[in-house]
Order: sequence, then structure tokens, then C-alpha cells
Amino acid sequence: MNTRVFAVASISLLLALITFNDLVGDWGRLEGGWSNLVIFFDESLWPPNWSVLEAQSYPVCEESIGLFCSVAWIGMVETIKIAFVSTAFGFIIALPLAAFAANNLSPKWVSFPARVILSAMRSLPSIIWAILFVIIFDIGTLAGIFAMTFYTVGYLGKLQFESMEGISNAPLEAARAMGMTRAEITYLVAIPESANNLLSHLMFMFEYNVRHGTVIGLVGAGGIGLYLNTYLKMLQYDKVVALLIIVFIVVVLIDMLSMIIRSKFTEEGDVQRPSWSTIFLPAKMASLHHHGKFVHQEDGSEE
Amino acid sequence: MAKLLAKLVDVSVGYETTLIDEINLEIYSGDVIAVLGPSGIGKTTLLRTLAGLIRPISGSVELKVKRRGGLGYIPQRLGLISNMSVRSNVEMGARMHASKWLPPIFPLPKKLRPIVDKALRNFDLTDFSNQPVRTLSGGQQRRVATARTVAQQPKLVLADEFLGELDDDNVEIVMKAVKATIKEKKSALVMVEHHEELAYQVANRIWRIVDGKLIEEEIQ
Repeated sequence: MNTRVFAVASISLLLALITFNDLVGDWGRLEGGWSNLVIFFDESLWPPNWSVLEAQSYPVCEESIGLFCSVAWIGMVETIKIAFVSTAFGFIIALPLAAFAANNLSPKWVSFPARVILSAMRSLPSIIWAILFVIIFDIGTLAGIFAMTFYTVGYLGKLQFESMEGISNAPLEAARAMGMTRAEITYLVAIPESANNLLSHLMFMFEYNVRHGTVIGLVGAGGIGLYLNTYLKMLQYDKVVALLIIVFIVVVLIDMLSMIIRSKFTEEGDVQRPSWSTIFLPAKMASLHHHGKFVHQEDGSEE
Repeated sequence: MAKLLAKLVDVSVGYETTLIDEINLEIYSGDVIAVLGPSGIGKTTLLRTLAGLIRPISGSVELKVKRRGGLGYIPQRLGLISNMSVRSNVEMGARMHASKWLPPIFPLPKKLRPIVDKALRNFDLTDFSNQPVRTLSGGQQRRVATARTVAQQPKLVLADEFLGELDDDNVEIVMKAVKATIKEKKSALVMVEHHEELAYQVANRIWRIVDGKLIEEEIQ
């Protein structure tokens, strides 16, 4: 690191520390904070209350497996359904808007208004959209779907147009020179060229919507958040922790699924496509069918 | 009789500064023109100006070919869609024969498929036709880019070092197919080339760029 970069980094860190001190104000307020957290953790949070995985007493469970009637299952499945529908709708609406917003695909007089629309949709957090749609559609999943779809369009649209702007210029030039229309360039060149990023963003958005299902549920927009809200109000924090651990596991699973899907569009994936075994196991254990030996000799002698 | 395909009148090309000026040339059907000169002298800029991708600084470039499909351009970096199959890339060229109002989401019309099959055959690509382009070698990718342009059957082909990275056998495959298209469609080829020996073998006209001027050499 050269001296100039080091100086800038040091000054930035110093400024951040001064600002932090200014924001905290009275450090005396933090006295006893850690011990309070330990007490709260021991008495209220841990261990998680896994009764959320047991069948509810009402309504009567008609399933052979009690888990399917549990709060965690019903809430999580509803959250995943809301996230899936909203992500799908959001993706379909965002894609053409992103093509309009990309500077390398559309003229300025088209891209600027498209960007303004996407910014407007993004500037309202999904929880505000949820409040608006709960007012329109009443409490339930429909409000959740609309809230997440609107936010998805704004957020995903931005990620998509940035991906499209990042593609190599060569395919676009070849397409323009041969006389392709803007629609053809978008559909046949820009979208396939940025497919890896588009898929990555799509999966990220799905994961984001699953995570956010816990937030918008708090205002009555359906899903696992409704149950979280109930337990928070009843101060049953051990059940809240149990539900959050389940959300965490689902998010990790979506991330792994994303890795497998995206590998179909990368050169690395062509060499070794990930499988569930390569995700969960160390490389040596996962590649049991690779028996070859690799020896790195620096001094001419084999180790 | 050779037909005029492009005319450059007092053209200057470049970006912030002029790289080549006072270009006065005509391109006729049947021409195979090699553009020669050292790196950074403006060969690619001239080609991009001819392709309509950048405007000339002054003068006029008159192209007498159809706006849609009349001009084929093979950039130095080939401009292939790496995530799509070889066939899909070649289909992009053939698609230029279809109406521009055909929604891109619709597949290539059946009547145009023989053009794609012929281009794949001529460039020895049939065996890889369903493979994504990114899995092919550099030489194979060059053949795909040329096959895409041949499937387009343009009147004027602009190629930026499209024979680079090709071994002798592949140069023969590519040039045989390109020359057949030029003869059949009465079109012309303008190619930027680094290997002078190769350029003299395949071209019937030579443009050399020296000190910001484009000079046409006599071929012995």
C-alpha cells in the first residue's frame, strides 16, 4: 500500500471514529449493557422453543405428520409462496424496464425516465409498500405479494440494468452493424450475455424476499412475520429465535440452490458443476471419483 | 460488372484526434481488401467508421447496402454471445433475412434454417452446434463468428483480424467459405490483417496506412 492510500485510509477511519463518538454521546449509558444482554439471552432467548415445529391445537390437524400443521411450517411455506410469486412477477416487470434504463441499449430520453421510475419504486421500503397495500387489500397475503412485487421491480431493475451496461461492447457492435433492432439486441444479445448476473440477482431477490417476509408480516401482510409479530407481542422470545433459525436455514438452502443454477452459465461451472456434495463436503471428499495425483516440486525432489 | 457498394469521400477518421485523413476510396462487389499497418494506426477505427459505429470526423461514407443485414461486422473480440449455443449464434445472422417486425422471442422461421445448417457445415461446426460458445477454443470461436456473418449473407463484410489465432487448415476452411459467399452474393470483404504474407495471399486489393494516410498498393 503506498503512503497516499494509507494516509487517506487512516484519515477516513479517524473521521469514522470521531463521528461514532459524536453519535453515541454519553458512553455511560452503555454501562451494564453486556450483562443485560447475557441475562436476556439466558432467560428469554436460549434455548429456542422448538414447539413451533409441533402441530397447533387449533385448528385440528388433519395431516398425518404434525409438522405440516405447525406454526413454523405454515408460516414458512406461506412466506416462500409470497416471495416466489412476487419475485417472479417483479422479474418479468423489471426486465423490460431495465432494458429501457440501460444506457448502452436505449437513448438517454428513454433511459432517464425509466431510471426515475425504478428509483421511485425503490425509494419506498417494502414495509411502507406493505402498509399501503394492507390499507387497500386488508390484512393478508395479497397485500404482501403486491408490496414485495413493487419493491422487487425497483430493486431488481437497478441490478439488472447495471448488469446489462456491464456486458462487453463487441457483441453489441456486431449486432448494431448487422442492423438488428433494439428489441432484438436486448433479447438476443444483452439478456443472454448478462444471464449469469441476471440469474444471480434473481436468486438473491428471492432470498431477500424470503428474509423480508419476516418484516412485512409484522404489518399484517401474511407469512411467518405474522407469527413472529404475535410472539414478540407476547414476549415469547424463545419462539422468535426458533422461527429466525428456520428462516436462516431456508436462506442458506436458497443460496446453495442459486450456486447450482448459476453454474450452468459460467466457465467454472463447465469445468466442475457444483452438486450438493461439493457444497456440503470439503473438495477432497466431494471429488471421490478424482484419483489423480498432483505433485508440486520446487526443488526437484518429490515429497 | 462490379457494383459499387461503398464510397468514402474526403473522410477523416479518429476519436479526439484524427488518425487517418483524406480517405477517398470505393469498394466494389468482388473486392477482397486487406487493410495493413502497424498497431494503433487506426485500422480498427476505419473499420468501425465503415460499419457506422462511429461517425467520421469529416467527409462522407456512403454505403449502398441494405440497412438490415446488408453489412456484416466481425469485431476483433468476435462479439459472440458466449452463453448461447453455436447454432443460436449463427441463427442471429440468418435472422437478418426475416422481417424486423418478427418479435425476437419467436424462433427463427423454418424456411431460414437451411441457411444456418449450410453455414454450420461449411465451417465444420455441426458437431459442436449445441455447445455453448464459451466452451470452444479461440480458433473454433473465430469460425463461429465468421459462420454467423456468412449466414447473414451480407453485401459488405468488415472483419477485424478474423484470421488471427487460426492454423493453416482453419484459414483454408474460413477463406473458402467466405470467398464462396462473396462470389455467390456478389459481395465484398474488407479485412484488417496483421500477417502481411497471409493478406497478400487472400486479398485482391491492399490498403496500407502510412503516416495518417491511406494508400492503395498495386498488387503485383
